[in-house]
Amino acid sequence: MSARLEFETVIGLEVHVQLATRTKLFSSADVSYGDAPNHHVTEVCLALPGALPVLNGRAVELAVRAALAVGCKVQPHSVFARKHYFYPDLPKAYQISQYEEPLATGGWLEIDAAEGPRRIGITRIHMEEDAGKSLHEPGDPETQVDLNRAGVPLVEIVSEPELRSAEEAGAYLRAWRLLLRWVGASDADMEKGQLRCDANVSLRPRGETRLGTRTEIKNLNSFRFVEAAIRAEVERQAKLLRAGGKVQQATLGFDPERGRLFVMRVKENADDYRYFPDPDLVPLILSEERIEAIRRTLPELPRAREQRLQQEHALPAEDARTLASSRALADWTEAAARAHGRAQSVANWVLRDVLAALRERDAEPEAIRLTPEGFAALLRLVDAGRLTARSARSLLPELLFSGGDPEALVRERGLEAVSDAGALERAVDEALAANPKAVEAFAAGDAKSLNFLMGRVMRRTGGKADPARVRELLSEKLGGRR
Amino acid sequence: MSTPLPGLGELRARLDAGEVSAQELTAQAFARLDAVEPALHAFLFTRREAALAEAVESDARRARGEPRSALDGIPLALKDNIVQAGEPATCASRILEGYVSPFDATAVARLRAAGAVIVGRTNLDEFAMGSSTENSCRGPTRNPWDPERSPGGSSGGSAAAVAAGVVPLALGSDTGGSIRQPAALCGVTGMKPTYGRVSRRGLVAFASSLDQIGPFARTAADCAALLDAISGHDPRDSTSLPEPPLATSRALTGDVAGLTLGWLREAESVPGVAPGVLAHVREAVAELERAGAKLREVSLPHVPHAIAAYYLIAMAEASSNLARYDGVRYGRRASGGGSLTELYERTRAEGFGAEVKRRVLLGTYVLSAGYYDAYYRKAQQVRTLLRRDFEAAFAGCDAIVLPTTPETAFRLGEKSGDPLAMYLSDVFTVSANLAGLPGVSLPCGLDAGLPVGLQILGRPLEDATVLRIADAYQRRTDHHLARPPL
Repeated sequence: MSARLEFETVIGLEVHVQLATRTKLFSSADVSYGDAPNHHVTEVCLALPGALPVLNGRAVELAVRAALAVGCKVQPHSVFARKHYFYPDLPKAYQISQYEEPLATGGWLEIDAAEGPRRIGITRIHMEEDAGKSLHEPGDPETQVDLNRAGVPLVEIVSEPELRSAEEAGAYLRAWRLLLRWVGASDADMEKGQLRCDANVSLRPRGETRLGTRTEIKNLNSFRFVEAAIRAEVERQAKLLRAGGKVQQATLGFDPERGRLFVMRVKENADDYRYFPDPDLVPLILSEERIEAIRRTLPELPRAREQRLQQEHALPAEDARTLASSRALADWTEAAARAHGRAQSVANWVLRDVLAALRERDAEPEAIRLTPEGFAALLRLVDAGRLTARSARSLLPELLFSGGDPEALVRERGLEAVSDAGALERAVDEALAANPKAVEAFAAGDAKSLNFLMGRVMRRTGGKADPARVRELLSEKLGGRR
Repeated sequence: MSTPLPGLGELRARLDAGEVSAQELTAQAFARLDAVEPALHAFLFTRREAALAEAVESDARRARGEPRSALDGIPLALKDNIVQAGEPATCASRILEGYVSPFDATAVARLRAAGAVIVGRTNLDEFAMGSSTENSCRGPTRNPWDPERSPGGSSGGSAAAVAAGVVPLALGSDTGGSIRQPAALCGVTGMKPTYGRVSRRGLVAFASSLDQIGPFARTAADCAALLDAISGHDPRDSTSLPEPPLATSRALTGDVAGLTLGWLREAESVPGVAPGVLAHVREAVAELERAGAKLREVSLPHVPHAIAAYYLIAMAEASSNLARYDGVRYGRRASGGGSLTELYERTRAEGFGAEVKRRVLLGTYVLSAGYYDAYYRKAQQVRTLLRRDFEAAFAGCDAIVLPTTPETAFRLGEKSGDPLAMYLSDVFTVSANLAGLPGVSLPCGLDAGLPVGLQILGRPLEDATVLRIADAYQRRTDHHLARPPL
């Protein structure tokens, strides 16, 4: 064996996604975030004697949407099972999940890897309920339990071990976030814990087909942490293996403050959760018709959208990719392009000015209140020379976030461009008369004087003159003096 | 002097005729309760003031000519594993000491909406695990026919309360015979409906796939009235049948002509079946034949495996259902500090009785990795085979008749030291739970002064048929009128 063994990194992710329902998976309690502890609980969430779970149909629909979006086979018959362990934030002492018969199997998600797009296999998608939260106040030896989150609907998405780097894991997670939001299955807000993942990491000598011993890094809740934790673990395992050591199967945690991994527990045997089908629930039967009905309501998916934006609107790949990074943005832009007629021109405005305005406000495209038609109307004012690009840009944030009629706003603010030939000519003549030195300098061959004179004209028109037209007029009038 | 309350039909007639008020009936129920309770210990909790207040309201409704139902003003009792809002629900377990339910079981909500007056909560084997009511943390209930004997279980308190005439009606729960067996041993009529017929919401779970709430009364007709009031689809129980409430009372024609009864061949070869029991059951079947029913032999080849399959499934589900009693959120919590694991261990060690611990341990074992296939999965396969046995048998008959229990009431303490002997006494009852069938037990005579139960099992959903046969028998005989010497 060579001292510098080349390793291949093998990563599989288990992604937990909170479905965008109003109520919990098996109870009528509201799904909430940040509310006072234990204010969103029923007898089911508290596991009171005699309480029974009832499946939330909306959660099933959203889970099916997510599964169909990655081409999974949605099973006509799936079964909820009880997964047992004792913990204070798990009121029944079992979690209702799916085990032997999950909701969906197979499928793939395309990510952008270094070498280009690559499909990552999806092993299975199953539904389950979230646990509550244990709270430890500093200095208080007691544990407090908040069950607001107990029973919140999740899907767990298990990937094949086909990711090859921390960056790919990040790309995979980002692709899921985009897709889940796109189909409306989840808000996928990592800060609110709506998207979290466990990473299974192992190394093997390049060329080896068998998997090495893996470790599992639990509960990674930001894109940055996912990549940092995997990078650290790959480094640790490589060092260990190069030194002739062996990786021990273990469950790890990641301390983001120190950027370090720590061992949560070492696995001697597989955990025994004593799964068995939950006798309080009947098997979930999904007819072919119901699955197809859900499939029909799926929107065009991001990759297809991207391709179509390129083909139908002749947009460059990069532009299409950026526009298809949000369904709201893509929809809005495409509608504006249709209303306006010139897609590239609309796309340019969106990619530069609209995105800048969103960034400025730290807002999502969903926050746009201006109609696509309104946006097209604004651009048409610019096209017609009735509004300068500068004025349009200055009006954009207000229009974007408050909506309204661009034409009316332009009139109201008196921003209509000075295109009246007589008025513009008067302004030019006045500027020339008021700045004889500059005129002389120009005549003497100082080209920069033209810019100075332009500035004067613009000032006289309050910035409402079309700069190209001003330049034309000035050149005409100065031409005789050269 | 207290007098036992008569049956529902007579009470209703007297209420309607204005001969008695609901308030008087309730007072009479409590007078009877006070008289017999020292000997029986059938109740864990009573609600005198609340019940009397509800009776006053019922009388006011009747006076206005607006009684809510046939049960309006009728006193009844609940087994202490069926929750009622604002009332304790201990399941006769120390671990639920002090627990008060914030919600009504669906069956209870329906009874309250019907105007019934709930007088109290009856004793049971802890979490309904047992066949004698001896596994109650508050001590056993005694059989009204012989206070040295067990009333059966686990719904022993409800059976004894009806037998002693404290209440005309009571609810129990039946997981492996827990209504039918105490009904037989106490000489009353008790019925386990088709699985899913009565909502389990608010029934504290023992074994979810087997548990069913059902009625106790003196007669099949009274059981029918109570069942009709509590049955019907409940969207809050996923295993509840989609059917609307039953109207079995209207199916009680008194006529069994044209029905074919199946006599279970295996019943006679079960070890330990008392000859006196068999003789009375045979005579009861002969009476039904005289009423016009046809009789033929049927066989359920997998019945010998039913007890093993039943206990594996019931214990597995119990170990899971009882995991929530951890001292964290409600009920009893062991005192003293220590780690989380110590809190769990001490709470559960102090809170559960021996039989519950035995079942939780065995249930945990059979669900464990490496044993699941050999035990739990295998038991489910037996369950499927047993269902097919019943399907085959019901192809040739409308109902199956057999004894409810191998023996009449046993002495307190007689079997409590031998769990296996106790489990085996459920041989005739567990099959109906495994197959989800309706079954009724009714008195068919006394053997050496103790009641014998005739059991009638029907096809799934044929709740009305088993009650109709039981009612027809009771119209022709008077065994259900026999009163314990109390």
